[in-house]
Amino acid sequence: MSLLEINNIEKSFDNLQVLKDISLSVDQTEVISILGPSGSGKSTLLRCMAMLETIDGGDMSYCGEKAVTSVSGSPVYASKAQIKKIRGYFGLVFQNFNLFPHYSVIKNITDAPIHVQRRPKSEVYEEAYILLKKMGLEDKENYYPYQLSGGQQQRVAIARALSMKPKMLFFDEPTSALDPELTAEILKVLRSLADEKMTMIIVTHEIDFARSVSDRVIFMDGGIIVEEGSPKEVIDNPQNERTKAFLKKMSVNS
Amino acid sequence: MNLKKISLLRITVILFITYALTTGFTFYCAADDNKTFTVGFDAEFPPYGYKDESGEYVGFDLDLAEEVCERKGWILKKQPIDWNSKDMELKTGAIDCIWNGFTMNGREDKYTWTTPYVDNSQVVIVKKDSGIEDLSGLAGKTVAVQSDSSALAALTGDDATEENKNLAASFKELQQVGDYNSAFLNLESGAIDAICMDIGVANYEIKSRGNLFVMLDKHISSEEYGIGFLLGNTELRDEVQETLWEMLGDGTFLRIAEKWGLESSVCLSAEDSYIDNTSMENSQSLIERFLSISKQLMGGLGASLAIFFLTLLFSMPLGLLITAGRMSKLTPLRWIVKIYISILRGTPLMLQLLVVFFGPYFIFGINTPASYRFYAVIIGFTLNYAAYFAEIYRSGIQAVPKGQYEAADILGYSRKQRFFKIIFPQMVKNIIPSVTNEVITLVKDTSLAFAISYTEMFTLAKQVAAAETTIMPLFIAGIFYYIFNFVVAFVMEYIEKKLNYFR
Repeated sequence: MSLLEINNIEKSFDNLQVLKDISLSVDQTEVISILGPSGSGKSTLLRCMAMLETIDGGDMSYCGEKAVTSVSGSPVYASKAQIKKIRGYFGLVFQNFNLFPHYSVIKNITDAPIHVQRRPKSEVYEEAYILLKKMGLEDKENYYPYQLSGGQQQRVAIARALSMKPKMLFFDEPTSALDPELTAEILKVLRSLADEKMTMIIVTHEIDFARSVSDRVIFMDGGIIVEEGSPKEVIDNPQNERTKAFLKKMSVNS
Repeated sequence: MNLKKISLLRITVILFITYALTTGFTFYCAADDNKTFTVGFDAEFPPYGYKDESGEYVGFDLDLAEEVCERKGWILKKQPIDWNSKDMELKTGAIDCIWNGFTMNGREDKYTWTTPYVDNSQVVIVKKDSGIEDLSGLAGKTVAVQSDSSALAALTGDDATEENKNLAASFKELQQVGDYNSAFLNLESGAIDAICMDIGVANYEIKSRGNLFVMLDKHISSEEYGIGFLLGNTELRDEVQETLWEMLGDGTFLRIAEKWGLESSVCLSAEDSYIDNTSMENSQSLIERFLSISKQLMGGLGASLAIFFLTLLFSMPLGLLITAGRMSKLTPLRWIVKIYISILRGTPLMLQLLVVFFGPYFIFGINTPASYRFYAVIIGFTLNYAAYFAEIYRSGIQAVPKGQYEAADILGYSRKQRFFKIIFPQMVKNIIPSVTNEVITLVKDTSLAFAISYTEMFTLAKQVAAAETTIMPLFIAGIFYYIFNFVVAFVMEYIEKKLNYFR
C-alpha cells in the first residue's frame, strides 16, 4: 500500500502557476529526494503535501484515506476531524527549525504528544529521553532553543517530529540554514533514520547525500516533474537537458 | 570646500536668528510704551465674564476693565484662567489682577483689594420639580459647589456660621465641581440635587437655561465682590480704584451695571476704605505645611490608585477580546472593531468620560445614582485603554513568526491551544515595552477624572493649592506621581527580566 498518493496537483499564487499537474506515489520505507533550482516549486509541493498550503486542483490520500477528492475538477477537502486524523500520519521538519522559543528542549518534544495525542506523561518522557540520546542531546534537555547551535536545534526539531510517531516525515531543506560543518551532523541523522526504514521525502540541495541515501530522486523545474528515477538514473545519467544543466551548476558550485 | 560651505550656512542661520530675536525684542519694547493691563477671569462665570455666542469674552467686569483701560490709556488683555490656578497666575505676574465676581469675604488677607463694588449673596438652586422647598429639604441630598468658591467657604470655611456648618453636615455629599456649566449638567441629569452659588450668576443661569430651575427663598450668606491684586501691589490697585471712583462720579459705572442687569447689586462707594493687610505672614513652618498637605493628598492618592488598578484589571482582558475582533475573519465584525478603536483613540479621553457620565441621561433619559460617577470613570478609562491595549496586542501577535503557527499546525495543536500555548506567551514578551509605556501614561491620565468632578489626587492638589494659595500641593502631587511611576517601572522591568529566559 502506498503511504501517500497525490494525483494531478495544481497550485497557483495569485496568477502565477507554481505546480502543474503533479502526480506522485510514495511507498512504505521509501526515501525520496526532491531536487531542483529555486523557484521550481519543490518546497511548495512539500508544503501542499503537509497541508500547509491548500491545493487548487487534484486529489491527495494518505495511507489509503482520502484527504482531498476532486469533484468535477475542483478539490474538496475532507471533514475537519478526518484532516486532523490524517495530520497525525506525517511530520515536517522545517528549514528554520521553528522550535517553540519559550519551551525547553524536553518540553518542545513532549508537549504535543501529551496535549495533542493525550498519551501518558511517563511514557512520552521515557521515549523523549531515548530520542534525545539518539540525537546526541541527552545533556541538553533543559536548554532553551536560543542556547543551542543551529545543528542542535534542527536535531531537536527532528526529535519533536519523531515524538509524534509519524508514518512518514517531510523535510523542507533541512540543512539550508546551517553552516557546512553542521550540515554533516544532520545528514548523519537522516541517514540513520533511513537505515531504520523511516519513510521520508526530502527537499534538498545536497546532491551527494541524495545520491547515497535515496531510493528515488525527483528533479523538478518550472512546476513540473522533469525527471524521476533511481539516483543512478537521474543524478549519474540524466536524460533531460534541464537536469544536466542543474547538476552541472551544482557540481561547479561545490 | 564642503566644510566651509557648511560653516558659512551655519553663520547665516545664526545671524538670521539673532536678527529675528533682536527685532522681535525691539517690537516688544516698543509695545511697552502703552502699558498692558492683564485681567484674569473665569471664562465660565456669566454675567461677570464669559464667552458670548460670537466667541468674544464679555461681561460686566470686563466692561468695567475696558473702561478703566480706556481712561488710563492702557491696553486691556483679557486672560481666561483656570480658577484653581488663579494664585499662581497672579504670583508669576501672568495676570495683573483677578477681576471676576471675586468674593472678598474670607480672602481679606490674601490679596490687595479695591473697595467692594458688588454685594452678592449665596443662594441654592434646585430643579423646578424636585420637591425641595427650603434649606431643610436639602438634608440627605447631594449638593454641588464650585471648588474654592464663596459658596464652599460659606458652608464649610473657617468663617462659616454654625447654622451653615450644620446645614452642610446634613447633606449626603458636598460635591465640588470645576465649573458651573458642568454643575448644571449634573443637576439636570439628576446626578446632584442642588447647587450653591452666587445670586448674580444664579439669576443669569436660571434665565438663560429656560427656567428649568428655581432658587430657594432663604439665602445662605451675603458677600461682597472686589478686585484682587497681588498682596502688596497697592500702586496698581490705587490707580484702578481712583479710576473706578471717577467712573462712579460721572455715572458710567451705574450705566454699565444697568447694561448687565446688576444695578440692584452694585455697592461701590467713595466713602469705603481699604482693608489693611500688609503685615500678614504665614505662621506654619515649611515642613509642617509639607506634611499637612501630603496628608490631605493621601486621600486622593487612594482614589487615583483605585482608578489605576481597576482600569488595568478590566482593560487588559477586554483588549484581548477586541484584538480577536480586530483580527477576525468576519469582515463586518472586523470593521466594527476598527471603527471602535479609531474613535476611542481619536477623541480625547476627557470627552469620552463626559459621554459615559452624562450619556445615560442626555441620550437615554436615565437618571443615574450618585455612585455612578465612580463607575463612569472606570468604564470610560477601561473602554479607552482597552482600545490601546488591543492594538498593542495585535502588533505583538503579528510579530510572532509565521513558522510558529505552521509548526503548531503540523503537530496537531487546536486553534485554541495554538493561541494560548504557543502564540500568547511570545506575544507577551513582544509587547512588554509598549505596555510599560501605556501603564505609565495611565498613572498620569488618572488625573483626567476631574472632567466629571471625580476627586482624585491631582484634582485634590489643585483644590488644596487654591485654598492655601501655594503651589506646594502640586509639587507634592508631582512627587507622588513620580514615586508611583517609579514603582510601576520597577515592576515592569522585573517582569521583562523574568521573561528573558527565552529569546
